[in-house]
Amino acid sequence: MGGMTFLTSIAISSLFYLSVFVFLAGFIYRVSLYYSTPQPLKIPQTPQPVNVGGVVFRMAGDVLFFRSLSKGTTLLFFAGWIFHITLLVTGIRHLRYFLPMVPDVVVWFSHVAIFIGFVLLLSLVVLLIRRIVDKKVVFVSSLSDYFVLLLLICIVFTGLLMRYAPFRPDIVGIKGLMLELVNPVTAFSLLTLHPPHAPANYMFAIHIILVFILLIYFPFSKLMHMGGYFFSPTRYMVNNPRTKRYVNPWDKEPGNLTVSGEGGQNNG
Amino acid sequence: MADKEAQTVTAGAAATTDNDKIQAMLKYDKIDYQTVELTGEIILPTEPVDKCFAHIKPQLLTDKKLLANLGYPTDGLVDNWKEVFLRKMDEMLKKYKSVRVFMDICVKCGACADKCPYYIGTGDANNMPMARQELMRKVYRRYFTVPGQLFGNWMVKGEELSLELLNMWYTYFYQCSECRRCSVFCPYGIDTAEVTMAAREILNSVGLVQKYLHQIINNAQTMGNNLGMQKNAVINALEFVESDLQEETGIDNIRIPIDEEGAEILFVTPSADFFASPHIESLYGYAKVFHQAGISWTMSTYASEGGNFGLFIHNYEHMKKINKRIWQAAKDLKVKRVVGGECGHMWRILSSYSNTMWGPFDWLDQRYPIPEHICEFTLNLLKRGALKIDKSANDEFIVTMHDSCQIARGMEMGGTEYGQFEIPRAVIRYVCDKFQDMPEDTIRERTFCCGAGQGLLGDDMLPTRVKGAIPRMQAYTAAKQAHGVNFIALICAICKAQLSKMFPTYGYPMEEVGGIHQLVGRAIVLGAKEGV
Ligand code: HEM
Ligand code: SF4
Ligand code: SF4
Repeated sequence: MGGMTFLTSIAISSLFYLSVFVFLAGFIYRVSLYYSTPQPLKIPQTPQPVNVGGVVFRMAGDVLFFRSLSKGTTLLFFAGWIFHITLLVTGIRHLRYFLPMVPDVVVWFSHVAIFIGFVLLLSLVVLLIRRIVDKKVVFVSSLSDYFVLLLLICIVFTGLLMRYAPFRPDIVGIKGLMLELVNPVTAFSLLTLHPPHAPANYMFAIHIILVFILLIYFPFSKLMHMGGYFFSPTRYMVNNPRTKRYVNPWDKEPGNLTVSGEGGQNNG
Repeated sequence: MADKEAQTVTAGAAATTDNDKIQAMLKYDKIDYQTVELTGEIILPTEPVDKCFAHIKPQLLTDKKLLANLGYPTDGLVDNWKEVFLRKMDEMLKKYKSVRVFMDICVKCGACADKCPYYIGTGDANNMPMARQELMRKVYRRYFTVPGQLFGNWMVKGEELSLELLNMWYTYFYQCSECRRCSVFCPYGIDTAEVTMAAREILNSVGLVQKYLHQIINNAQTMGNNLGMQKNAVINALEFVESDLQEETGIDNIRIPIDEEGAEILFVTPSADFFASPHIESLYGYAKVFHQAGISWTMSTYASEGGNFGLFIHNYEHMKKINKRIWQAAKDLKVKRVVGGECGHMWRILSSYSNTMWGPFDWLDQRYPIPEHICEFTLNLLKRGALKIDKSANDEFIVTMHDSCQIARGMEMGGTEYGQFEIPRAVIRYVCDKFQDMPEDTIRERTFCCGAGQGLLGDDMLPTRVKGAIPRMQAYTAAKQAHGVNFIALICAICKAQLSKMFPTYGYPMEEVGGIHQLVGRAIVLGAKEGV
């Protein structure tokens, strides 16, 4: 292994473990925080279903079709939804690098992969333009809001470039690397300075390092909306406070109303 | 001479304390309000303007006795306010999942921005719901998140605590009526009301306590009603209503029973219903319904108030204490059912929170909803044909209905997720021939606030109220133009107080505002009792 290849290999491998660790630990920590923080009162926002099945259905509509968002804003709804759905498809397609046997869905997607990639890029650009043009959004946007969009654009852009001749990497080599990396034993081979071999391709190195940055950034940012949505009390709470007593975790005792006579004075 | 010098020195020194500075910043000025032309169209601001409505400051509570009663600092801003502030905020984040999650997950997409009546009315950028949340999130990011602590404020727009920040908080968290309209359109259901409530309680903890709202919380806790009436004043008022009612109807056994032990139903309603206009018309309506149904009922002097302003701030103890009176009265009067009158926030607490705070109510009659809304109660009677109705009594009206935020976006009615929209409308249809809805995006869960909910009803808030009412006034105008609507039916005491003030302000007669049970009361044919 040449010096340069060795350095790239060891950098990619160690960053892989670092970022996956930070992502998982951070994500789990934040979600456990949402989970364990008590919600004292029932605050569903109508028309919220009155049973669990209905609530699950409504939430699925929010997650899969951005139901609430579709009520108010057309451009954002379309751009946002297309971005997420194409991101999801792209994510699924990337499974082929991590699974020894490639499932049929993944293979099927390869017919439309390039198209999906461009739509993903386009929707991100629309979201970015909107964030620069819409004065209402500008007012609350900070550097971090532009940063995520730019980061995603760079990831998608470098990804797409790799489909073209001068940048085309050694796909088999990458799959080999990934399969090795997802095997925990490999983590120890890093200690002995024997990292799995990363194919020499700058575009690939940039692409994957940007993804590592995204993973590390994820749990500290608004990207936590992915986990947080499921803990949003206006959406997950069942609308039945009259029929089923909801217990406040920090005020559990049932109400203690002894007959005091105080409340029933005669006006005699 | 020496004396004078000493005085100037102390005055000079005093003006440098944080409390003096903030008092100067928050000084209440009576400011004239400005209406807009009613065209029937809700015009969104073309561009948000930063701080164009920042000069409206509600009055601060300075009465030391009241402040001490409520457990808040008595001398204005406390010296170590930064410490107290952050401690309270930490407590809010730990006690309320809503606040914790909402701080984290907003993607600043702006879907909520132009949905807020106060933003539409004022065009002030800080009245966009996500910008309102940002006021708290700035502090959250700076003090409670890793990037804020690590990269400082430039990356994430964090902000140090400062007097200017307190000033912004006090201003804009009192230009939110906690109406929850923003939450309908937010992809994650982020409810700015929850943030506002927490922010107000944080402000209270450092000693910036709004007068109108907290005076009422104190009244309700100590006297049992928002107006601070003594027991015999309540009795006098209700007896007066009763004799009026008997005179008007010519029926001498129609009653407003007070503190009658063993009655079937305890009825609670906002104390405004005892005198205010048009509220009182609905009280006549309730009494007629109970009379005609032949069910024994009673009001309570101990729980002479249905409203509970404790909801408007995240202070569970206040709310719980006020709420207790109702259930205590129910127990002491040995009633079997509890029915609530026309009021939005009252109904939300009564129906959504009571069971958590004072339940389980296994000692009440389980065959009925606990508590039951007066519209549920009346509709049930109407459906059974237990009330004889003469719709022609309401022939002069073409009626529309304003969904009160806390009811429409609050919880189920009649056991279904749409009941809170349908049941009040069904009652109206039973008693009026002509009913027309306002435009779709201004009713049901998308309803616009009347403009004065959740502690903004004070006279000091008139400029804000007049602006916040704009969407509702435009929607009403649209219905007027399209269908000749001339009556807006309400089920909330605050909506009634606000709109009966706004209608004349905007050039409509006050008589076009009223309660649903006002219409019911007019149409009921008394005496003619048929099979209950
Ligand atoms: C459960 C999964 C998820 C759901 C339901 C969801 C939903 C949403 C919704 C409704 C929005 C607002 C509309 C918009 O701006 O597009 C949004 C924004 C956003 N989401 Fe997601 N999301 C999910 C996962 C993710 C993931 C995994 C990422 C990226 C790695 C992501 C990145 C973003 C970004 C960057 C924005 C902001 C777009 C902007 O700045 O305008 N989301 N998400
Ligand atoms: S709760 Fe209502 S008043 Fe407050 S920010 Fe949301 S829409 Fe505006
Ligand atoms: S709609 Fe929700 S996520 Fe979007 S900016 Fe408003 S509060 Fe944030």
